[in-house]
Amino acid sequence: MRYYFRLQYKMLNRHISDFGLHPLIGYGISIAGFTVLSFYLFSKTEFADYVYIAIAISMILKLCENKRNGFLKNCFSSDIYYSLRFSENCIVILPFVIFLIYMQSFTPLLILLLSASLLAFINLSNQFQFTIPTPFFKRPFEFITGFRKTFYFIIIAYILAIISVSVGNFNLGIFSLMLVFLTSFSYYTEPEAEYFIWIYNLSPGRFLLNKIRTGILYSTFMCLPIIVTIGVFFFDKINIVFGFQALGYVFLTTVILAKYSAYPGKINIPQTALIALCLYLPAFLIGIIPYFYLQSIKRLKEYLE
Amino acid sequence: MIKIENLSKAYGSKQVLKNVNISFEKGKVYGIVGENGSGKTTFFKCIAGLERYSGNVSSDFDNLKNHTGFLQTEPFYFSKITGREFIQLLCSARGKQAIATDQRNIFDLPLDQYASTYSTGMKKKLALTAILMQTNECFVLDEPFNGVDIHSNIIITDIIRKLKELNKTIIISSHIFATLNDTCDEIHLLKEGVFVKKVCREEFGILEQEMKDFTIGNKIDKLMLT
Repeated sequence: MRYYFRLQYKMLNRHISDFGLHPLIGYGISIAGFTVLSFYLFSKTEFADYVYIAIAISMILKLCENKRNGFLKNCFSSDIYYSLRFSENCIVILPFVIFLIYMQSFTPLLILLLSASLLAFINLSNQFQFTIPTPFFKRPFEFITGFRKTFYFIIIAYILAIISVSVGNFNLGIFSLMLVFLTSFSYYTEPEAEYFIWIYNLSPGRFLLNKIRTGILYSTFMCLPIIVTIGVFFFDKINIVFGFQALGYVFLTTVILAKYSAYPGKINIPQTALIALCLYLPAFLIGIIPYFYLQSIKRLKEYLE
Repeated sequence: MIKIENLSKAYGSKQVLKNVNISFEKGKVYGIVGENGSGKTTFFKCIAGLERYSGNVSSDFDNLKNHTGFLQTEPFYFSKITGREFIQLLCSARGKQAIATDQRNIFDLPLDQYASTYSTGMKKKLALTAILMQTNECFVLDEPFNGVDIHSNIIITDIIRKLKELNKTIIISSHIFATLNDTCDEIHLLKEGVFVKKVCREEFGILEQEMKDFTIGNKIDKLMLT
């Protein structure tokens, strides 16, 4: 079991190194990011505890995958397997537990610990899993696959939008809108296999335009319930809603272009740094979008021409 | 027609294809055989334009890749995409409509299930169905018979015959000689990145025997089975 965890640690370090960071720096950034986001979430809503639990459980659920656990069961004896699964779940929820203790939220903490213990005994079987319906059938694939993997984030965002209206917190409504966009951005973080670019009968420019158009269309589709909800109840602030929506489109475009500017690699430090810079100073987008565009065209030419 | 001239490909210092010259005509089925690692898949990727290479691949089309259906040895599937959506993706990428998908699902695949949960053979059949629905002019099929059941094997053989009738260019690799014998007009033997032999239909038997003799030799005796 010790070797298993040592191996997991090595694999995690390799992932961070592949991203272009020294593992220690990666851990530092992760801890800082987690802390900042946690404080931000708890400052925005009184229901942060439950959002927090949902995020932590969604992370544990990824470890309940049937094939993965079938492999572990095959490798280890039954006793070791269950203690290993329990330990894994505990490690994953540890940062959440520490923060909940700090916030003195003991009931959510108890729910989280119980869930982590129970989920150590559960395998999510592929055999009986049903196909999650998606409204994005017409234009595969990012939103189809992304939505199925992250639909619970969309549900959380919709719940937050309803809460924002019921408690009269406009900022929370905007946060829910941004959560949908952040979720959409995640659909573009992994590079697809070269085959799925090669198949297109499009020039690189048309290909990118197609991707951006689909991204904007489908993100609008996902945002619409939130826009309508907060638009109706905070009608005097509708311009701000549209402003954030437009900003979301611009960043979505930037993320799509960043993805293909790094292709066939993953979005790496240079792209991440430039996007972070734009988040801080959006005016830089004027220069960065064309830069990513030209880089993407160069990368895509190899596969499309 | 696809004409390949002086095609070479190296991965670092390893030369995989060495100055390959070959042409493929319309309405013919070509078999490519060779040991594992002889360069078949790399050769196919070069034709498809999925690999950079030195040399020249020309055809009757402005851009060959837009008229080529490429069946990969191990087709990749996204983790949460259904069979139907995969077909839709491949068709829409070529600006084609996925029409009558259920009717054309001749392998009876569960199209509304996630493709990543399919068996190896089902994945292959799905990828083949999708590239057939793209209505291509050239088909590059890397081990189309690998992992599929015997019934599907028969269907694939008939599909290849039908494509030939429709005047398409078909290039196949397979490790199962019988399937090549049933479908091909010519077989080309690839060895260490070079085509060392071209065999027409009437000489297939001789090639099979030669390959058996060369491959097996006295290797079985070396096992010292008792």
